[in-house]
Amino acid sequence: MTLAWIALRNLARNRRRTLLSLLVVAAGSVGILLTAGFITFSFQGLAEAIVRGGLGHFEIVRRSALGGSADRLDRPIEHGLEDWQRLRRRVEALPEVAAATANVHLLGMATAGQATASFVGLGVEPERQRAMGFTTRLRAGESLPPVPPLIGEEVVLLASGLADTLGVGPGDWVTLMAVTPHGMLNALDARVVGTYTTGLQDLDTRFLQVPLATAQRLLETPLVADLVVTLEKGVPLERGAAALERLAAGHDPPLAVVGWRQRAPYYRQVRDLYRGIFWFLGSVVFVLVVLSTSNTLLMAVMERLRELGTLRAIGTGRAQLAAIVLCEALWLGVLGGALGCLLGLLATWGINALQLQMPPPPGAVDPIDLRLALLPQAFAGTVLLMTAVLAVAAIVPVARAVRLRIVEALGHV
Amino acid sequence: MAGAAAEPLFAARDLVKHYRLGRVRVPALRGVSLDVSAGELLAVVGPSGSGKTTLLNLLGTLDEPDGGTLRFAGDELAGLSDRRRTELRRRRLGFVFQTFNLVPVLSALENVEYPLWIAGVGRRERRRRAGEALDAVGLAARSRHRPDQLSGGERQRVALARALVHEPAAVLADEPTGNLDSVTGGEILDLLVRLNRERGTTFLVATHDPEVMRRAGRRLTLRDGRVAADGSVP
Repeated sequence: MTLAWIALRNLARNRRRTLLSLLVVAAGSVGILLTAGFITFSFQGLAEAIVRGGLGHFEIVRRSALGGSADRLDRPIEHGLEDWQRLRRRVEALPEVAAATANVHLLGMATAGQATASFVGLGVEPERQRAMGFTTRLRAGESLPPVPPLIGEEVVLLASGLADTLGVGPGDWVTLMAVTPHGMLNALDARVVGTYTTGLQDLDTRFLQVPLATAQRLLETPLVADLVVTLEKGVPLERGAAALERLAAGHDPPLAVVGWRQRAPYYRQVRDLYRGIFWFLGSVVFVLVVLSTSNTLLMAVMERLRELGTLRAIGTGRAQLAAIVLCEALWLGVLGGALGCLLGLLATWGINALQLQMPPPPGAVDPIDLRLALLPQAFAGTVLLMTAVLAVAAIVPVARAVRLRIVEALGHV
Repeated sequence: MAGAAAEPLFAARDLVKHYRLGRVRVPALRGVSLDVSAGELLAVVGPSGSGKTTLLNLLGTLDEPDGGTLRFAGDELAGLSDRRRTELRRRRLGFVFQTFNLVPVLSALENVEYPLWIAGVGRRERRRRAGEALDAVGLAARSRHRPDQLSGGERQRVALARALVHEPAAVLADEPTGNLDSVTGGEILDLLVRLNRERGTTFLVATHDPEVMRRAGRRLTLRDGRVAADGSVP
């Protein structure tokens, strides 16, 4: 005879009520698990999309380009990297690093016939980007060619919204204008090889990509704004950061190593939003489970007042009585949480097998996959959480049990 | 030691107890005094509402008097903390109720084990003593049965075993034969008398049962919350 055994048998005395309580706890657990699985999958997918979308794991940039703030996103070419190809060789020699590619950031105007639009551009190395797994979602035409174009054979890849604004498509020509670091306005003609999407409607109306050489010719500079670095598979970000920091230390001019999260405020905002939603849903589940199970536990106490009074009469201490009632609640938490984990596992498999998609979120272009991540720590945490929730739910029933007056309880029918 | 031996097990003086029914304050005991010596079999009798159960509740520390003094084995009970009163009931007192009040989810053996379990007695010792207690009331063969698988008489035997398993100084029984037919009630009474004689356990039995009154060594009659008569049974 143990406390846990007695509590378990007490739960078994009203099986239907216990089953209902278990289902309430399990439903709450499933809700938490599915939400956590979806949010985690979304985080992982978003992070992967951002890293593979061109940000890489780290960026190496001249410290002066940051203007004292690591969160600053623009990379003025005046503070670009000079001997960047040598620097890249050193970076790529690190065992933690998979590859590095150079970028030039552009701001300017694009015209085609009578149409004019401002643009935010990026000079890239297409062959390296492809080797690093960076993806560009083409909408029409082709990607940028792997070989740097000759002078006079410039090409450009326009975001679909910008192409629409300019009224051009693959094969058409546009004129790109930008201000050089010397303050001169420069222009060059480029053939549109294709259109692509950034995934966000607002960005699609502004963005374009050109080969690195084209960007350098437009800005009349041999510099690049930064080097984007991806790590070998499985290398933790912290280890990669440490290796790059060691390499950057003592460099003249001073360099900064910027992690991708600092360059992706959108990711931070989405993460904060999802976390807020998760905590809100969690709070709702918490309140519902506490109220529901507390009521059930209280009913179980009220129905057994005479029995509990008898236990007190024959020498059961208040703490011992509290332990019996609390133990019943904890069983509900453990068993309900475990049942919830089982159901959550099945639901996760089922939903993933259905390969569902959800409509694009506001401002986005593509639908998003409804997939759920399986997180062992979330399953263990849910059982612990539900046990804690039931401990909270037991407060009122336990208080009722320990405060009972023996004589009144013995007279209870 | 002679002085200690003469000390009554229970010594009550002018016990007063009121209950509140809505706004009305109803007197249950109006100054009851009595001494109960170790080894007595005392029948507390009287009509319904005379204060029998209230007196047993006070003597058993299940309730506290509004007035008067109460000593158990020489110790004043007034002002004892809930913890000390619980400890006293756990170690020194046993209880038998009219409706048996067994824990329905526990077997007969486990019900009898329970007082030893809460007292922290080890499993093996618990099992041995509970088995002996069940044997003493003639229910060793039914030890694995749950209360709902036992007859009324068997349940009361289990309750008696539970009250005796920790070898208390006194057992307070409130109408122990009240829910039993006369034959079964007689068997329970036989048990009480035998255990009182063989073990010297003090029994205080609140009852309407004439047979209990007849066989008890002493009879305390209450009427309207006062002692109407107190004397040995001829």
